[in-house]
Amino acid sequence: MKRLALAALIALAAVNARAVPFIEDDYATAVARAKAKKVPIFVETWAPW
Amino acid sequence: MRAYVYTDKSLERYAGQFVWLSVNTESPKNAAFLKRYPIPALPTLLVLNAEGAVTTRYVGGATVPQLTKLLDDSKPRTATVSESDKLLTQADRLAAEGKHGEAVKAYESALAKAAKNWRKYGRTAESMLFSMSIDDQNEPCATRALEIYPRVKGSSSAANVAATGLSCALSLDEKNAKRAELAASLEKATREVFDDPKIAMSHDDRSGLYIALIDARKDAKDEQGATELAKQWAAFLEKAAAEAKTAEQRAVYDSHRLNAYLDLGTPEKAIPMLEQSQRDFPGDYNPPARLAIAYKAMKDYDKALAASERAVVKVYGPRKLTVLSTRADIYMEKGDKEAARATIAMAIEYAKSLPEGQRSERRIASLERRLASIQ
Repeated sequence: MKRLALAALIALAAVNARAVPFIEDDYATAVARAKAKKVPIFVETWAPW
Repeated sequence: MRAYVYTDKSLERYAGQFVWLSVNTESPKNAAFLKRYPIPALPTLLVLNAEGAVTTRYVGGATVPQLTKLLDDSKPRTATVSESDKLLTQADRLAAEGKHGEAVKAYESALAKAAKNWRKYGRTAESMLFSMSIDDQNEPCATRALEIYPRVKGSSSAANVAATGLSCALSLDEKNAKRAELAASLEKATREVFDDPKIAMSHDDRSGLYIALIDARKDAKDEQGATELAKQWAAFLEKAAAEAKTAEQRAVYDSHRLNAYLDLGTPEKAIPMLEQSQRDFPGDYNPPARLAIAYKAMKDYDKALAASERAVVKVYGPRKLTVLSTRADIYMEKGDKEAARATIAMAIEYAKSLPEGQRSERRIASLERRLASIQ
């Protein structure tokens, strides 16, 4: 359990350390936000492997 | 890029100029996205307008300067755009729809109409060659790479132009009369990029050049040259991993390091790093999946199967098929055909259960052929 919590913390730290605010795996929210802000969407596609 | 590029503070100035979306292609949540925007290689970077239409597409990793250039080039423009800019947008959109044959023609037109100092020339050339390789246009790909190389020489696009061209040349039929000359010339170009200290390159890109050069030496039946390069590759990756500031950065190199050790016939060297990653990231399926490959190469099948079991319970998405295929390989080498068949049958059932966008009929057909071949 401790190890799982540590992994979650590491993952969270990795996400938080990013210099721009990524929306994770939610295309619909990204499009809605882009329409509201009138800005384009930058998409990073990746895989955990 | 996740470990090294998106963490760079210099990107903060772009934060409000785009909405930032990260798409894990293995997650079932993204199946509808993948159906609309097929992704043939990772990472693929896209810029969409607010209606979801592709305006920019780039396949491959980027350094921070390469990414900021891409972002600057992707901002909506009110000023007049050139004919080449319009053709590039059209080509990127076609490539994003998987229409690579049509995309190649549009990229080629964009290059033909480009002003001498057009800043998107290199990226357009890289994208065209990638679409050619996906579309199995290997001879035009190698020929055009060789023609384009002198113009991009010394720039950040030189590595992809030379290495994609080389890969296309090596994919040509052995009987192709131009194969040997194209491969030799493109290997020379790739080596020139590799040796140019002025070209800023991510470790990932440099590692990709090692792979391209090793493939070329193997193709030339120069085992000694290939081994020498593989030794340098392993040393380069070990140094990069040792200099990593975080566990996440260190683990970035695990995959290529494992491949280098496999190339060198020393899979046991991968065990300590993979065990370390397994401890650092207990929820991650990659370390045990890679341990299974390393133990299989060491012919320690019981440890390979145990590692595979740890990976299978964590893995999800299309990657599960790769993990199951490795497990079937382990059973086959162990001489247990019945277990290998059962594993492939399990993989077929899982492949068929994947949602549209992640489900691949080609992959299912390949697994079914494999099942039939195990007597």
